[in-house]
Amino acid sequence: MTRATRMIAGPLGAVVLILVLMSLAMIAAGTSPVDGFTALFVGALGGRNQIGETLVATTALLFPALGICLAFRAGLFNIGAEGQLLIGGLCAGALGAVLTVPGPIGIVLMLIAGAIGGGAWGAIAGWMKARFGANEIIATLMLNFVAAYFALELVSGPLKGPLAAGAETAWLDPKYWLPTLLPATRLSIALLLAVALALVLQWTFSRTVFGYDLRASGEAPEAARRSGINLARLTWLALTLSGAIAGVGGATIVSGELHRFNTQLSPGYGFTAIAVALVGDLQPLWICIAAFGFGILESGGLAMQASAQVPKDAIHVIEGLIIFVLAARRYVATRVEGTLP
Amino acid sequence: MSELIATLVVLTLIKATPIIYAALGGVISERSGVINIGLEGMMAAGAFFAVVASFATHSPLLGLLAGIGAGALFGYLLAFAATRFKVDQIVAGTGINLICAGGAAYGLVVIFNQPGASVQVASLGHAFWILIVLAFALAATMQWVLYRTPWGLRIRACGENPSAVVSAGLNPLALRVYAVVISGALAGLGGAFLSIGELNLYSDGMTAGRGFIALAAVIFGRWHPLAATAACVVFGFFEALQFVLQGQISWLPANAMQALPYIAALVALAGVTGRVRAPAADGVPF
Repeated sequence: MTRATRMIAGPLGAVVLILVLMSLAMIAAGTSPVDGFTALFVGALGGRNQIGETLVATTALLFPALGICLAFRAGLFNIGAEGQLLIGGLCAGALGAVLTVPGPIGIVLMLIAGAIGGGAWGAIAGWMKARFGANEIIATLMLNFVAAYFALELVSGPLKGPLAAGAETAWLDPKYWLPTLLPATRLSIALLLAVALALVLQWTFSRTVFGYDLRASGEAPEAARRSGINLARLTWLALTLSGAIAGVGGATIVSGELHRFNTQLSPGYGFTAIAVALVGDLQPLWICIAAFGFGILESGGLAMQASAQVPKDAIHVIEGLIIFVLAARRYVATRVEGTLP
Repeated sequence: MSELIATLVVLTLIKATPIIYAALGGVISERSGVINIGLEGMMAAGAFFAVVASFATHSPLLGLLAGIGAGALFGYLLAFAATRFKVDQIVAGTGINLICAGGAAYGLVVIFNQPGASVQVASLGHAFWILIVLAFALAATMQWVLYRTPWGLRIRACGENPSAVVSAGLNPLALRVYAVVISGALAGLGGAFLSIGELNLYSDGMTAGRGFIALAAVIFGRWHPLAATAACVVFGFFEALQFVLQGQISWLPANAMQALPYIAALVALAGVTGRVRAPAADGVPF
């Protein structure tokens, strides 16, 4: 195979395989694939509102996926984006409920609060890894559970809004809502922030010393250490930044969609984002496209559940299979080409 | 007071058991050189299929076997990917976790026609005490097998230096497949204990990170079956403590207590890991 056909054939083969598997899942649920896919795509792209919801999901996935991508580049497997997203949203919601400054300043402060919250949550795992050599996979995963209980405790008690019926903070003043991007939908300018962040990261990874250090420490830690890179500092920094990016994502969900914080902030965006980062091949710009693809699955999946009775959870099986297919594809490509892709 | 302590001891044993099975699975897999991040998903698969089989046959024993089989199947999937396709084991394990958690949630709707939880099925009843005793017996057996039998030596060699295993005329990839299939079977057994041992149904997210707590126990126990089991008892104790303390201490928030096992695992992870060494070829494809 030539390089060009391989570049197209690989992803195309994966897409075809995934479509076949989705069809099987639909048949198993007693729906014809035609009806299932129609429901999926009409539900995701069939009108202004549907497109808005798909892009809302895209945005919600893009932030944690970019954070995960940054950590991955340093060879650190951050599966704690879910918790970092939650804590970021909690900090933004708690701050937004008590702010009395002008709107734009308040929104910026909320985003910063989200970054600090998510960053602090990522920093715990980074500190554990750098200081004690603790496995970051288990540490970040454990912190997800701690985050969920921590957030629930705070919004059930001290941070609970005075008029709130359930466990949630007070509603934000409308001046602290992120401006709407697509009128009459829930889509806010958070999408633009996320894409801008992707551009900045792409540039950082490919054109800066920090980007080089990240990659060096991920791919050849011993060589990186001998060339003078402080691995402990980089580990700590990478996980903190990774968490901060996810945390900003949580803040944009609070300020842009929910207009308050509650613990149902994320239906597993932090986990789906792992698949998004991997499908995007750890390249921020590809991750934007991958996030849109998964955004279609997320919002279309809900519609598919409602109109074609295919459970939305089938989407998670598809995501897991995508990860598998992509991981194996590298090996197949190596075998075919004789060199690493 | 003595009644409270008795409750705590019994609950500790019950809560530790599923984690022990998963942790023993983690030990044998990592000793052979494959990191099994998919333990969590394999537990969920075991828990789910145990309920499905018990529902279909009204026999909890067949349910237990189905749980073990389902775990072994996903273990084989990971082993196949790790040995034949040399995929990144952590990426593959993450994929398995997503497939199993999503698949079980999907299966609940397809088979039981209700989201969130299955219907109640025939459970093991008091026979689940046998599984609790078996967990400790299995830990001792695995300790003996790994350190006192030729097969155990080979498995450990696969995790330390697979090339040496080749020199000895053996196939490290085949040995790794055996180890990871056993690992999955044990995780499936732990999951089945959760669903048809402790309870009599499958509910979404019922494994609640126990597969990852088991991995922390593996590290805390320095890849030794008995030491990892001791670590699981500690984590089981914190899980039990949360139940016993609820309603006893009013100033400690309920949510903080529910987070206890996870915080204990975090502290354990930070407390010992700097001074331990994983098998040399752990996680390295061969």
